This record gives sequence, C-alpha cells and structure tokens, in this order.
Amino acid sequence: MAAARLSASLVLQPRARTLRAFSTSVSPATRSPRPSPSTTERTSRYGRPLRRKALPPRTEKMAVDQDWPSVYPVAAPFKPSAVPLPVRMGYPVKRGVPMAKEGNLELLKIPNFLHLTPVAIKRHCEALKDFCTEWPAALDSDEKCRKHFPIEIDTAGYVSAGPSVRNPKARVVTLRVKLSSLNLDDHAKKKLIKLVGDRYCKSTDVLTIKTDRCPLKRQNYDYAMYLLTVLYHESWKTEEWEKTKTEADMEEYVWKDSSSEKNILETLLQIKAAEKNLELSKEELLGTEEVEEYRKSVVSLKNEGDNENTLSQYKESVKRLLNLT
Amino acid sequence: MAAVPWAQWLRVRRGLCLLLTGRRAGLCGRAPSSRFYSGSAAVPEVEGAGATGTEEVVIPKKKTWDKVAVLQALASTVHRDATAAPYAFQDDPYLIPTSSMESHSFLLAKKSGENAAKFIINSYPKYFQKDIAEPHIPCFMPEYFEPQIEDISEAALQERIKLRKVKASVDMFDQLLQAGTTISLETTNSLLDLLCYYGNQEPSTNYNFQQREQAEELEEATEGSNEKPKKKAGHQLGVTWRAKNNAERIFALMPEKNAHSYCTMIRGMVKHRAPMQALNLYTELLNNRLRADVHTFNSLIEATAFVANEKLEEKWNNILDLLKQMVAQNVKPNLQTFNTILKCLRRFHAIGKLPALQTLREMKAIGIEPSLATYHYIIQLFYQHENPSKGSSLIIYDIMNELMGKKFSPKDPDDDMFFQSAMRVCSSLRDLELAYQVHDLLNTGDNRKFIGPDHRRNFYYSKFFGLLCLMEQIDVTLKWYKDLIPSVFFPHSQTLIDLLQALDVANRLELIPQIWKDSKEYGHTFRRDLKEEILMLMARDRHPPELQVAFADCAADIKSTYESQDARQTAPSWLASSLNHIAVLFLRAGRTQEAWKMLGLFRKHNKIPGNELLNEFMDSAKASGSPAQAIEIVKLAGAFSLPICESLTQRLMADFTLSQEQKEALGDLTALTSDSDTDSSSDSDVGEGK
Repeated sequence: MAAARLSASLVLQPRARTLRAFSTSVSPATRSPRPSPSTTERTSRYGRPLRRKALPPRTEKMAVDQDWPSVYPVAAPFKPSAVPLPVRMGYPVKRGVPMAKEGNLELLKIPNFLHLTPVAIKRHCEALKDFCTEWPAALDSDEKCRKHFPIEIDTAGYVSAGPSVRNPKARVVTLRVKLSSLNLDDHAKKKLIKLVGDRYCKSTDVLTIKTDRCPLKRQNYDYAMYLLTVLYHESWKTEEWEKTKTEADMEEYVWKDSSSEKNILETLLQIKAAEKNLELSKEELLGTEEVEEYRKSVVSLKNEGDNENTLSQYKESVKRLLNLT
Repeated sequence: MAAVPWAQWLRVRRGLCLLLTGRRAGLCGRAPSSRFYSGSAAVPEVEGAGATGTEEVVIPKKKTWDKVAVLQALASTVHRDATAAPYAFQDDPYLIPTSSMESHSFLLAKKSGENAAKFIINSYPKYFQKDIAEPHIPCFMPEYFEPQIEDISEAALQERIKLRKVKASVDMFDQLLQAGTTISLETTNSLLDLLCYYGNQEPSTNYNFQQREQAEELEEATEGSNEKPKKKAGHQLGVTWRAKNNAERIFALMPEKNAHSYCTMIRGMVKHRAPMQALNLYTELLNNRLRADVHTFNSLIEATAFVANEKLEEKWNNILDLLKQMVAQNVKPNLQTFNTILKCLRRFHAIGKLPALQTLREMKAIGIEPSLATYHYIIQLFYQHENPSKGSSLIIYDIMNELMGKKFSPKDPDDDMFFQSAMRVCSSLRDLELAYQVHDLLNTGDNRKFIGPDHRRNFYYSKFFGLLCLMEQIDVTLKWYKDLIPSVFFPHSQTLIDLLQALDVANRLELIPQIWKDSKEYGHTFRRDLKEEILMLMARDRHPPELQVAFADCAADIKSTYESQDARQTAPSWLASSLNHIAVLFLRAGRTQEAWKMLGLFRKHNKIPGNELLNEFMDSAKASGSPAQAIEIVKLAGAFSLPICESLTQRLMADFTLSQEQKEALGDLTALTSDSDTDSSSDSDVGEGK
C-alpha cells in the first residue's frame, strides 16, 4: 500500500522501489513482489546489495562569491563537504604531511568560528541595532560615567543546549564601588575597611561585594545593595566600644602617644639632664624641628616600610637630633 | 529581460518546524506609545553621591520585545544556501537523499523513529518520570492513554470521551443507561460529537500521515480527470455513515435534544457522506423550531452539492435557499461558507462561473477577506479545461494583481493548493511574467508555508522550471537551475530534457556533460529517454575538437551505465540509436579502438547500424589505411543484409587496394548478399556475383 501510493503520487519511471520497512503501517502483503534496482543501491545478480555511493562534496558546486554566512548560519560542527578550504590538521608521520580535512577528527574536536566571520558579525550588528537605545549624550567620557554612576554591577547569563534554561551560576552578582565616591570621613572609611576586610582593594580603592547566597539573581542584587547601605550607615556610627581602640588596632602608625615618642622624649630629657639644661618642657621639646623631622621619618618608615629613602631619612634625622653631624 | 527574483527564504521540506523570518511586530521599540518602562538595568545612584552635573543625564527607556525577536532579527541576516539539502537531513555526502523518493523515505524514517520512541515512552511511563526540563515541557512527559476511572459513572464517561475511546465510551454509555442513571445533556452531546467526528469507528493510530495523503491523492485524481465525472470514485476511501449506527441509536434514545445535538449529527452525516439523511435531519431541526449554527449550514451546503441525480440549476437554487434561510435565522456566514460554496460550484463546470463571481463579490461586500483557497477554487473553476484554442479567461491576471504583496495566514485546509494551480495556469498560458509574479507572491512574508507537501512542491517547481526553459534566456535559466536543483526539488527526466532542448536552442551544447554529471547525482543514471536525448544532441553535429573529447568522455560514461544495467537485468536496454550515437562520438573524438568495439556490440544486441555510421567507419578505415577494417564493415553490412552493402562494396573497391585473397573473400561476401536479395532471381545473382 505504501509503495503503491507513493508510485501513484510521484511521477516515477516504472521501476518503483521498495521503501525500507518503517515501523508504522506497511503490511507484508503490500510490499512489491521483487526488489527492483535503484540508482544508489546496486544489486548484483547474486542479490547482495552493493555499497551506496557517496555524492561528490558540495564544495565543488559552491561559487567563489557565495554568501558564506548562509552556508554556516549557526555554530555547527566542521563539515568537510561544506567548507571549501583545503585545511590540514594533525601530527604528520615522518616525511608526511598533516592529514587532510576528510574524516579528520581533530578538526571536529576544536571549536570553529566559521559562523562568525567578520561579514557575519557586521550583519548581526546591523540587525541588532534596532534593539538598542541611544547612548545618553551627556556621558561621553569614562570619568563622567563614573561620576554619575559610581556603582557597577556584574552579572552573567548562561545558555546551553538542553531542555533546561536554568544554570545555577547565573545567580552570582558582583557589586563594585570606589570608596572615594562615597561620602565617608576618616573614621567612617577606616571602620568600613575594617568591616569588609578582604573585599577592599587598597591599590585601586575599590570595594567589591560578591553575593550568591540567594537563589535568584534579582534577590542577590537586592542583597548586595542592602549590604552596601548597611555598611555605609554602620561606618558612620560610632559605638561605645570603639573608644577602646588600642594601638594594635590602628591601621597606620600614629606617632602621638606611641612608644617611639616616649622613647625619644626620654632620651632627649636624659640628654638635657646630662647637660644640666632643664628648662625645656615636653611640649617645647616636641615642637622643635628636629623632633618633627624625626617624627616624620619614623612615621614614613613604619608606614611605608624599609627602603633607601626612608632609612636614609631616619639616619639624617637621628644624627641631627643627637647632634652627631 | 525580467529581473531575476532570487528564491530567498525557501523553506524546508515537508511539514517541519519553520524558522520564522523577518522581524515581528513584537519588537515594540519604535513607537513611543508602546514602550514599556522597565526598571532599567542601568545603575541606580547611591544616596549621598548626588549626580549634580551641569548636564542632565537622560537615560532612555528600555525597549522590550518578545522572546524570539532577537532570533528572528539574526535570522534575517542569512539566506538559503543553494547547494545544501534541507536541514532535516544530515549534511554528509553519503547521507543526502538523491531522489524525491529517497528524501520522502528518509523523512518518514525519522518520523517513524519519533513515533516509535513516543510509543515506548507512553507504554512504560513509569520509567520516564525524571524531568530535567526547566521550565516544564509537558510534551516530553509520557501521556496517559488509559482511562483511570474504573467505576461506572458520568465522570468515567467524560474521561473516555476525552481520551477519544469510541467503543469504550459507547459501552460506558449503555451501561449507565441500563443502570438507570440519567446522563446530562452536555455529556450526551459531547458523546455525539465524538461519534460523529470519527464516524463510529475508533480513531486509527497511524492517522497522521497515511490516510490524509491518500485522501489528497484521490481527490487530486478526481479533480485532474475532468472528462469523465468521477463523482463516485474515491468514495470507497474513508468511513461511510451506516444507517442505524451508534450515533443514530443514541440520538434516538436522547430524551431531550437541543440544537447542538442536531447540528452535530448533521455535520457528522455530511462528513461521512450521507447527504440525504443530513437534509432530512435538517428539516426535523426546523420543525422543532431550533436554529442551526454556521458550521452546520456549511455542511448543509456541501450536502446539497453531493446529492446525486439532480440538475445543476436545482442544486444552485437549493444552495441559494439555504443561504436565505441562514439570513432568516440570523446566522452570519464566515469564510468557510463561501469557500464551501465555491468548492461545490467547481463541480458545476461552465455554469458555475457566474455564480462564483457573484459569491466573491458578496464575500467582499460583507467584509470577509478571501483566503488562498478561495482563489484556488476560482482558478480551478475558470481553468478547468485546458484548451487554449477556445480562449482562456483572463481572470488569473486580475487575481494576481489583487494578491500582489499580500501576506496570508492559514485559514482553510485547502490554502496550500493555490500555488500549484496558479503555476499550472501560468504554464498552460505560457506566461513567464505571470509566473514570476506568482513566485514573488510565494516569497512574500511567510507565504512559503503554503507550498504544500512534497509532491505539490515538486509539481510547482517542475512547471515553473519548465516554463523558464521554454521562455527565458539561457543565462537566467541556468542561474535558476543552479539555484533550484537539486536543493529545492528533484527534477523529472522530462524537466531535464526541457533544459537540454533549451540549451540546444541557445546553442550552448558544451554544458551537456555537466548536466549529465549533475543528473547522475539525483538518480537519473538509468533513465533511458534522458540518456538518449543527451546522446542525440551530442552526436548530431560536428564540434570543435576539445568539445568532441568532452562529448566522447560523456558518451563513454553513458555506455558504462548501460552496461552495468545490462549486468543486472535480463532484458537488454540498448537502442539502436544510442549505439549509433555512441559509436559516432567515439569516432569523431578519435577513439577508434572503442568505436570498433561498438561494432561488436551491434552484433551482440542484434541492432542495425545506421547508414551514416557505416560511412563514417569507412572514412576512418580509409584514414587509417587498413583494408581489413573496411572489409569488416562490409561483412557487417552483409550480415545484416543492409541495402547499403552494395555502395559500400563499390566504395571499398574504389578506395582501397586489396590483396587477392581479400578480393576473393569480398567476392564471396557479395555473392552471399546478392543471394539474399529478394529482387533478382538466384541464377542471375550467381552470375553477377562472380
């Protein structure tokens, strides 16, 4: 029934051929009585079907000026019969050449970007321009962008082939803001930095908050903004217990009331006592220029670390202080 | 010269999902009134930061679009690849189908694989419960085809109706009646719907692609042959409405019937070809002072056309009566009404033309937009008898003018027959401009969907290409050839013969070997008439030497196909003309060895060589200066008792110097031939021969 119907519907030469049996409705009684020869399945006289011959690859028919994005419109595996380039890939055996493209597994394994030639990308951009709105005219430089929009949010979306569109990695939200754009005074800034810890990068002055604890991206974004708000407000408040901040909690070296100050005062007083010169008081001693210089050199040494400059500065200031030059 | 409309957007074959092209109206970024402001992903400002610039930063409102708009926009940047097979097939030289039958069977194989998988999933649903699709895709999950409710109740009946189990639901209905429960009117109506739709038979599981195709085939067969009105043919197909079947029984049992019940019964009867009963039931409906709905009226119009043994004018009057009743009952007609009228008018042949135009005008007056099926019926009506001598109507031009640039959406099941009939008319009118217009219409918007199934598309393109070969310049035709074949349709051998004749007219015979090479690819290796046409065209005239060499290669190829065919079949397939042509081509290209082998084939297949061929052989024998060959020829001519043998012998004697034994052999030969001459008497022959 199936074979007869098809031969009625399609104008064929009288050599109708059997269809390979398909599972639904061909009944045995209606198959045509003998298998007739077909063009590609050649049956020899002995009834064994010979191999189907392959067509020549369609690269032979391609014109030189054809529209390549139409041949590879989407990401597709490398098809040697459709790519008219004589590429070779593979490790050559001794005195040989790399393998040709037909049946080359190496060419199939690697990702190819045949669908994203510059022509194709240009066309895509043209087509997608309609979906875009104009860039605001006032934001024509990076600084202005940073000035008007100091907070930057990073999110990532993922597509993959499969029945599910969800990807758990898509819920991560990263919020970046420069602390210089926040309205913080010295204490607030120090407190904020203490509160966030690792998330602050000193060299670029950027606070990075990365949230992924909520299941949805939207929720994570709200949480990140909430964290920023809370940090800001908290850092402006001063708690009772902050008064008990000791020297070990200080972020940078402060010379006032430090052991170095005490030491130098003691030393100077001892010197002055040895010279029987007791008129100068502490404040006057501290106010002298040498002590100032000494203070500066010690502060820079402690804050910046040891290098040529600071060490030599310290040396000079000590020498001057102790009148050794 | 007509501009070449490139066949863009040519879609894939056979009822597969389409890539929608062009940008949808869902992209609503343009009109400001339809912009939706969404909380912009642009960054909010931190309090206290204060964007106090001298200029104001105006952030434009975000555009929104529907889910596929981006994909459609990207899809509009690519076009059809003219060398590729449709995407449903694997793009490998070994796996691309080489004929339309192969492509049909490949697609059927794919579909049957899907059906087999669905069958397995639905038979063992408990193994297929894991659902990783997010959001949920219901059609991937197994379906339940067995009714769950086991007890006898109305809910069980409704479930069986929903699952389309005809027999089970009728049994359940009977059981309920026996148990004495009353069944609500709606449930009974839905049961009647089920029975009338399926004609009291179970819906078959392979309903999808087998039966509908058969219905179409026979329908076209009935349309095609117009000389003998085949009203009864094709009616053996499908289900007929038997009297006193379940539907009628249940209908009779119903305590109360409303309009819906009558309507369903009428429509069922008409669908399964019981028009008289349908009309009787309609009178009963009117007697009960109920109203019918528009679908019922459509079925009734069809029923009046089906009634046998009535004259056509009466039928038309009946239809008009029905329409008047429709107006009286305040039922608005829809597109189907008019399409049904036109479909029935088609059977009225010549006298249906005027009513058809009236119907069309009425349709437009009411404001119903005609669909492609409407125009298809009109074309069928006006161009039924393809007899150009009688003068064809010019309505096709009006139709095409009206349809230019319009985009259609599917409204009627017969919409996909329009393009086929339009192209058929263009082909019979031999009008290429019109054909281009039709093709442009096909490529507007989404109209490619209406090309129909495989065989219709093949028909359309065969006619189109045939017309191009006939009427268009050869360069344009060749461009279309490269574009359409074989990626859009596989040509018949007749189409290729048309192309060859077009090449002949335009004096481009050098393309013949290329055409032969191409046609081997799509399954014409063993088409005898095509091969003969090629050989005839190649061998007809003398050509420059390089071309001759190419032709000789082609001829050798064709010869090998003949031989391989011989190896398989017992009946030889050679024709004398093909042998002639091949031999001539070999000779002209200077492949004399093979040409001489051909002579052996003549004898083997018992075919007679032509006179010019023998003369050419003689020339070549003279050119190579071998009298033995010349004697061979004469012997061959003698063996076949050809009248030319005489002149050949004389030529032999004149041109060649023969040795003595050769002359004697020749003498015997001529004696034999003159012996077998029927004109002269035996005695005088013997005397002459010596």
